[in-house]
Amino acid sequence: MTNPPAKGDGVPAEEPAPTAGGDNGLTVPPAEQFEAAMEDEAAEQAVAVEETAAVTRRKPWILRAAIYLTTANQVMVTVYSLILAAVVGAILIIVSDPYVRSTWGYFFSQPGDALSASWDAVATAYGALFRGAVVDPDKLNRWFYGMADLDAVLRPIATTFNYSAPLIFTGMAVALAFRSGLFNIGAQGQAVVGAIGAAIVGFSFTGLPTIVHLPLTLLGGLVGGAIWGAIPGVLKALTGAHEVIISIMLNYIGGYLLLWVISTKFVHSPDRTDAISKPASESALFPSLFGAGLPANWGIVLAVVVAAGMSWFLARSSLGFRFRTVGANPAAAKTAGMGVAGTYATAMAFGGGLAGLGGATILLGSTSHALTPSVAGTIGFDGITVALLGRAKPLGVVFSALLFGAMQAGASTMQTVAQIPVDMVTVLQAVIVIFIAAPALVKGIFHLREAKVSGQELSMAKGW
Amino acid sequence: MRPAMKFTAAALAGGLVLGLSACGKPPADDKAGDSGAKFNACMVTDLGGVDDKSFNTSAWKGMQEAAKKDTGINATYAQSNTEADYEPNLQNAVDNNCSLIVAVGGLMADATKKLATAHPDKQFAIVDAKIDLPNVRSMEFNTAQNSFMAGYLAAATSKTGKVATYGGLKIPPVTIFMDGFAEGVKYFNEKKGKKVELLGWDEAKQEGTFAESFIDQQKGKALTETFVSQGADVVFPVAGGTGVGSTTVAKEKPEVSVVWVDVDGCQSLATACDTFLSTAEKNIPAAVTDAVIAAKGGAKGGATVGTLENKGVSLAPFQKKDALVTAETKAELEQIKTDIIAGTIKIQSPSQPKVS
Amino acid sequence: MNVLYGLLTPDSGEILIDGVPQTFHSPRDALRAKVGMVHQHFMLVPVFTVAENIMLGREKTSGVLLSRAAARAEVRELSERYGLDVDPDAVVEDIPVGVQQRVEIIKALTSDCDLLILDEPTAVLTPAEIDELLDVMRTLRADGKSIVFITHKLKEVKAIADKITVVRRGRIVGTAEPTTGEDELAAMMVGREVSLTVDKTPARPGEPVLEIAGLSVLDERGQRAVDGLDLEVRAGEILGIAGVQGNGQTELAEAIMSLRPVLTGTIMVNKCPATRSKTRQVIDSGVGYVPEDRSADGLVKSFSIAENLVLNQYDKPPYGSGFMINPKMINKVAEERVAEYDVRTPSARTPVGTLSGGNQQKVIVAREMSRKLDLLIAAQPTRGVDVGSIEFIHKRIVAERDTGTGVLLISSELDEVLALSDRVAVMYRGRILDIVSPDTPREKIGRLMAGLTDDQAASKEPGA
Repeated sequence: MTNPPAKGDGVPAEEPAPTAGGDNGLTVPPAEQFEAAMEDEAAEQAVAVEETAAVTRRKPWILRAAIYLTTANQVMVTVYSLILAAVVGAILIIVSDPYVRSTWGYFFSQPGDALSASWDAVATAYGALFRGAVVDPDKLNRWFYGMADLDAVLRPIATTFNYSAPLIFTGMAVALAFRSGLFNIGAQGQAVVGAIGAAIVGFSFTGLPTIVHLPLTLLGGLVGGAIWGAIPGVLKALTGAHEVIISIMLNYIGGYLLLWVISTKFVHSPDRTDAISKPASESALFPSLFGAGLPANWGIVLAVVVAAGMSWFLARSSLGFRFRTVGANPAAAKTAGMGVAGTYATAMAFGGGLAGLGGATILLGSTSHALTPSVAGTIGFDGITVALLGRAKPLGVVFSALLFGAMQAGASTMQTVAQIPVDMVTVLQAVIVIFIAAPALVKGIFHLREAKVSGQELSMAKGW
Repeated sequence: MRPAMKFTAAALAGGLVLGLSACGKPPADDKAGDSGAKFNACMVTDLGGVDDKSFNTSAWKGMQEAAKKDTGINATYAQSNTEADYEPNLQNAVDNNCSLIVAVGGLMADATKKLATAHPDKQFAIVDAKIDLPNVRSMEFNTAQNSFMAGYLAAATSKTGKVATYGGLKIPPVTIFMDGFAEGVKYFNEKKGKKVELLGWDEAKQEGTFAESFIDQQKGKALTETFVSQGADVVFPVAGGTGVGSTTVAKEKPEVSVVWVDVDGCQSLATACDTFLSTAEKNIPAAVTDAVIAAKGGAKGGATVGTLENKGVSLAPFQKKDALVTAETKAELEQIKTDIIAGTIKIQSPSQPKVS
Repeated sequence: MNVLYGLLTPDSGEILIDGVPQTFHSPRDALRAKVGMVHQHFMLVPVFTVAENIMLGREKTSGVLLSRAAARAEVRELSERYGLDVDPDAVVEDIPVGVQQRVEIIKALTSDCDLLILDEPTAVLTPAEIDELLDVMRTLRADGKSIVFITHKLKEVKAIADKITVVRRGRIVGTAEPTTGEDELAAMMVGREVSLTVDKTPARPGEPVLEIAGLSVLDERGQRAVDGLDLEVRAGEILGIAGVQGNGQTELAEAIMSLRPVLTGTIMVNKCPATRSKTRQVIDSGVGYVPEDRSADGLVKSFSIAENLVLNQYDKPPYGSGFMINPKMINKVAEERVAEYDVRTPSARTPVGTLSGGNQQKVIVAREMSRKLDLLIAAQPTRGVDVGSIEFIHKRIVAERDTGTGVLLISSELDEVLALSDRVAVMYRGRILDIVSPDTPREKIGRLMAGLTDDQAASKEPGA
């Protein structure tokens, strides 16, 4: 027998590293960089990891907390992105207000004017945003002294819930696909078709009890969305067509389908002259959450329950395991005998179903609970941002959908009270996502520490 | 680390300020102090906002006009980005001491109805819809009447004997124009014993050509080119921004004329003024101005339908294509207007608002 | 070495070039300091000609036009000076690997570098090509160039080096002279004596478990990578496949696993046809597979060790049943496997991506070998693995054989094939040229690997 060649330890150990690190395979993560044979001391891990771990172990909690707060982990990057977005928003508010701008014109003679005017403008705007989205402290106070009814106190949060519920669904539709290695940019079309399905079931039956009719209506939305989602999935599985392109096109087709459906005799409301369908029957609607006077309904509860279900599904079901494996490494999934193409098709159908539920929820949560040409708004596209912000995790999606819903709810108040255009909120959302997508930027701005290396990638901008 | 801490501290401080402001017994009523102040007229736009060069722009113009006429009126607006914004926007208007809340667009009818029912003490007004509540003023427009005139005008000026129309979407607010136009062409043929042909709309079957969009200029251009190639020389686009595509074609081919809708094309699309024969105008600004001033005067509810008679709808001046319209045609149009007002010409369109 | 070439920035310490401290932030800085590098993975554009590849990055321009003629002349000049024999007009994807490597060397030389780093240059070469490379290196040395030659093949080091530095885990563990014995060098690399031979008893082959007849398989480019191959593996034996990488071994393994469609021919596993099976069925019929590229095909790096251990068993009892999986059981069994297979990790829930290459490989080996197998396909089972782990993995493979499993061992390390196999099949251009005993002289096997059968004179063979 001859000697098998021994391997030099310090040499970057990975021989084939086509998938390692960044796009060019040049950046080797520290763990692999320092990795070596661990034959003697098992504890001797990558040096960087070791150090952080040691510090974490020995320091008191306050220091540990400080270290956590100043590390570029996912949570803190998100938090700092929100702070940065708020700062950018504040600058925009200052710049866009003609009066405040004028005070900056004589900043060097009376700096106090500019500063206080700027502070007032920003505080008024963000204060209104908060009052419109969460709670108005003044109303709360009045209610406490019996001078206002509870509805007034709950209205902002109820409005937020009503905006958030559909976003949770579409966010999950995108997130589930993300986790399965797909970029579901078609949530918009899926939501639209889901809304069509829900509306048809919703107005076609009358006299059913809610307990039967509501689930049926939701099923209509689910099936509609699932069909729309399955199309790109199946095409990808069978022909290799890219799901992004197909689903973008299906967004258009879904939009036109909606226009056509509304104009048909079967769907169009005979009592109305404009483009609106027959309204869903009362029995198809979600029961109201806080009472009839407030917009929130049980859709938000359903959304949270479904999010919990998705979390369970990914962690505990064999299909979820397959989704995750295919999403994280399709080649390994194939080698392990998983049907990658079939998984793609299934994941897209699941995602479509979730988006369809989002479409159903926004339809049933709307004032007219009827189809209109823009009934789904932009919940599908917003779902992409929500999923990004929520790091494609169910809990994250719930929180980011609540945040986005709150921003939309608050925007209305901010517009009325502070005359800030509603588009400001869209800008804020975009800025948040930019920072989330570029964690290195956030890390640089706040001088954060390097996060411990784990298998999770900080950036999600790899959907393609 | 340091800057991070500072920001966190600032955020915390901000939260505290908000929290503290909630303490202490509040003054008795926030609304009492407002009674001698200005009359707040608040408008909630439909999707598109006040710069849509369509009904939102028109309504906002009416609001500003009212504020100009009566300095005691303060006009503001809130924009809806999605349909889900209707209700919160109207609600915020209610909460922020708006004396009159103007909703723009028929799709806002349900939300307006809901809030008007919940707040019977508040005054509402809505454009392009009819709500039977004592505190809502409905503003509708019978555009079939002026479209009838537009149809007659088109038929009379066509050299090829073919005119065309197309819509943005097959919905009554659009097809009402097309119906009126078709009837006008028909009336011309009956009167003159001619056979001017209308492309793009069959009133009896309620079927025709639609761009399925109110913004797609390319689509408008393509449709118009098709019509022109079939021989049409007057085009009546009822499709918002999509109709701009028709003016593009008309600029290239001077023999083609466009009849615009809603707001006089020479104002809303001044660059294409050369191409417009006329406009089937819908006088939203005046209606809104009237509604605001009436509400300040204490009027409640009511419904108006804009007609030729009350100048709520009209056929705009012929502007740069005036030479194409003979004196005879002008006289006939005046007669038609009189006849429609008098009811001797009956318009059939099923999409007309019912006069209460 | 990546630090030296400017791909990574050092955390501490300094680099002196000709006595001058240097900081390299990018390869550009390194080139400026006359340091050139030939990567293990060639960084050439396959559809460009040699001259065009040379121009890349340091485009010789006259005005805005690239000067092709200048690049061509330069290639020709360098090629002649160092006896490299490279045609500047050949398209890179058409020329053999050995020549491509010389293109890389020329690329480094065109920047006038004084120090040339060669990172594992021999891994992809035939023995003859290795000899040629060593000659080139001698010419370069004679011309006054310094060369850092990184390899884990001791023979090559001894053949060419003037000074040997042994690096282990990022530290220099010692220097040696070329005259130092191989065992001594290996000991320095490992830190303790390792047995370089594998103890095994003679095989007791049983019934054939894998029968392949007339198999042809296409590779990604549509070429017949496996071309009419016949092979038989019996229960209780290790059949090693020796051959230079890229002669169809990868495609052969993938065809057996049904990961790659079979063009013609048949595959029988346990006397059952498996030519057109699904990968899942092949796995379930008792075939274990250690894929050649563990990062790409073997593991999901963001998953825990436990999850990776059940990648192809997740839905089978006791890990899962029906729709559910049982994470508790998965983790429990994983802890046992981690202990049994000596995976050095803090816990079974650690993401696999943070482990060293050797430990990652042990996870795959543990997954594949801890169920009842009839056939094990081990492709490059010890590639990029430290010596301690190599020893362990070799022992497990032999132990697996001793339980009556047939093993198909595919390795580009001739020493490994010879040490482990009971029979050695030499593969060349998609066929088995000969099956020989592991006691056959290395020179003979080496000639077979280069496509030279005994009845052929060396001159007749038209080069690899």
